[in-house]
Amino acid sequence: MTAVEDVHADPRVDEVEHVPGEGDMWFFVLFESLVFTSYFCVYLYYRAQHEQAFLKAQAALTLPLGIAETILLLTSSWAIARCVQQTRAGRYLSAQRFAMVTAGLGIAFLGCKLAEWVRLIGDGHTFTSSEFMQHFFFLTGMHAIHLLIGFVVLGVIVYQLADPQRRSRQTIETCSTYWHTVDLFWVLIFALLYIVR
Amino acid sequence: MDGSRVSRSGERAIFWTLPAVAVVWIAAFFLFPGFVPPMSPKASAAEVAAFYRDHLSRVRYSMILFNWFCVALIPILMLLVERMRGMAHRTPVLRYCVIGVAGAAPIAFLTSTVFWLIAAFRPDRSPALTQMCNDLAWITFTCGVPFLIALCVFVAVAIAYDDQERPVFPRWVARFNLVIALALVPSCFAGLTLDGAFAWNGFVSFWVKNVAIAVWIVVMAVVLRNAMDRDGIAVGVGA
Amino acid sequence: MSLVASLRTDAKRELWFVWYSTVAFYSLYTVVFFVLTRTQPPGHPWLTPEQAVGWFADRHSGLLVGFALIFVLGGFSATSIALITYSIRRMSVSRAYAYSYLILYAIAAIPGFVFICVAMTVGAMRPDRDPVLMHWLYDFGFLSFSGTMGVFLVGSLIWMAAILLDKNGVFPRWFGYLNLCNALTEVVIAPSWIFQRGVLAWNGVIAWWIDVAVFGMYTVVFIYLLRNLIQRDDLGTGPVPALPPGAARRAHPLAKVIAG
Repeated sequence: MTAVEDVHADPRVDEVEHVPGEGDMWFFVLFESLVFTSYFCVYLYYRAQHEQAFLKAQAALTLPLGIAETILLLTSSWAIARCVQQTRAGRYLSAQRFAMVTAGLGIAFLGCKLAEWVRLIGDGHTFTSSEFMQHFFFLTGMHAIHLLIGFVVLGVIVYQLADPQRRSRQTIETCSTYWHTVDLFWVLIFALLYIVR
Repeated sequence: MDGSRVSRSGERAIFWTLPAVAVVWIAAFFLFPGFVPPMSPKASAAEVAAFYRDHLSRVRYSMILFNWFCVALIPILMLLVERMRGMAHRTPVLRYCVIGVAGAAPIAFLTSTVFWLIAAFRPDRSPALTQMCNDLAWITFTCGVPFLIALCVFVAVAIAYDDQERPVFPRWVARFNLVIALALVPSCFAGLTLDGAFAWNGFVSFWVKNVAIAVWIVVMAVVLRNAMDRDGIAVGVGA
Repeated sequence: MSLVASLRTDAKRELWFVWYSTVAFYSLYTVVFFVLTRTQPPGHPWLTPEQAVGWFADRHSGLLVGFALIFVLGGFSATSIALITYSIRRMSVSRAYAYSYLILYAIAAIPGFVFICVAMTVGAMRPDRDPVLMHWLYDFGFLSFSGTMGVFLVGSLIWMAAILLDKNGVFPRWFGYLNLCNALTEVVIAPSWIFQRGVLAWNGVIAWWIDVAVFGMYTVVFIYLLRNLIQRDDLGTGPVPALPPGAARRAHPLAKVIAG
């Protein structure tokens, strides 16, 4: 069952309700979401205990930078959605370009994140300097790790698209599901750490 | 039996490392002043510190020897694993079990030599610290036998499941391995008492345990040699 | 056929031997660590030396007897490793994956339980030891146990990669992704080397409670999937057969993915 046969042989497939990508990836999304939700609950609980201390430490974060990072990742989600769209339409070269754009935006996000961490550490706000910073570096660090894995996943997409023998629409959809999940986690982290004050 | 497909080249050379290793281990065993007779857990910190001060060189050199050669039995155990290929098993799981414990067992032994060497490195350290290093070494050495016990059981099970006309190892080897495993079990409880037969210097936890290990090595070497002869690897003298 | 009888004649008896040993080992491990020695959940990292002495005193017999049992039976941890290695050998991927996994987890047994057994036994055997030294042993025990999870992180990634690349359908793909979830929780334990209190300390809500919840689920799942594997295995090479018709209905709903 290859992507090419899918798209051209049965155009109704897109209309029939089906879960994009593997069901197994949705299991992963669900499980990781539960784990991240538990991390968020822990954060909110401890924040409620020490609200003043958290507020004070939170002031060190720059909201504009957070907004910029969010825009970068949201745009990357759009890019990978376009990639999937192009794959379904059989326009593989265009799909590959969108995959590259996604990667580029992901790298830009990482660059911003690193710069932000360096600036915070330079200002004396380290992993161990306060409880809020402990949660901040932990959550953004875990997210960054998920993002790095996301690059591996994008690599799989590029690898799949490169060779006509390999193009599996399901695999590409699965990979894009992962990327959207990473984006979703960031939006939640952004909301919790940068906005909720 | 897949001896024809699998290369047996060089196995003789590995086998004959065993006597050399045995000589080194026995020499190191007697060189270490704390084995014959075994140090008492009831010794006070001052007595332990004095022991290291008085016998510094012997402790260091014997433990360095053990440190170098603690992994020396791994190639011999791999010869055993290769003989297991000839057993009437449907899967390699039991070989994997043996490989697994063969990897961990020498590192447990290595850890105990490290603690002894640390104790001997600065004899003028606080006696309480030296005693703690000494305790760590002895407990690791005496109680750190889970992998050897499991090894004996895996070998016994492998032999029991070797249902063919001419099994690779005779059936008594399985029972022998179970006896050795049982002989090692009491030493695991050495932490519970500071004197008596079960303390780390006691008859059961020290002598029975170490003699059992020595007997296992000797008996399995003979059994292994017979099995290798059958596999067409002549291991006799002058072969 | 009774269990004993089937163990005598079944061609898969060596697989069942290691599977039952795995179940017995993990059960014993849980009982020893959670009930006998009460080292899990871990003691607080913020105890003072005198409090550490008290911690050892509270658990004196439990520590000595419980860890003695691990000294006797800890080597049977090799059975789960051997079975998982075998499962990877049944996959279409290179043997490098299987052997990497085997070596990695074999040596992981040393920090995995030997260090904590030794440290806590040495601590408990001399209750009158200097409190500062007891405190050191307390740290050594817990940190060597929790903080060396990096080994299991890489091991989970190897198994994950093997499962996702496998074309023989040995394990369902969702289990490959569960390995990734497990690997990520191993990352979470790393800050326990840095923090003496808080959610990331060795007994923290994130570094221990959530971590152990994920690991516990993961362990139960893989023991169950290994059982399925043994049932389906035809001991040949190549694709692993689907679940027998009745079993698919009885099995965990997601396990149908294997059969499909």
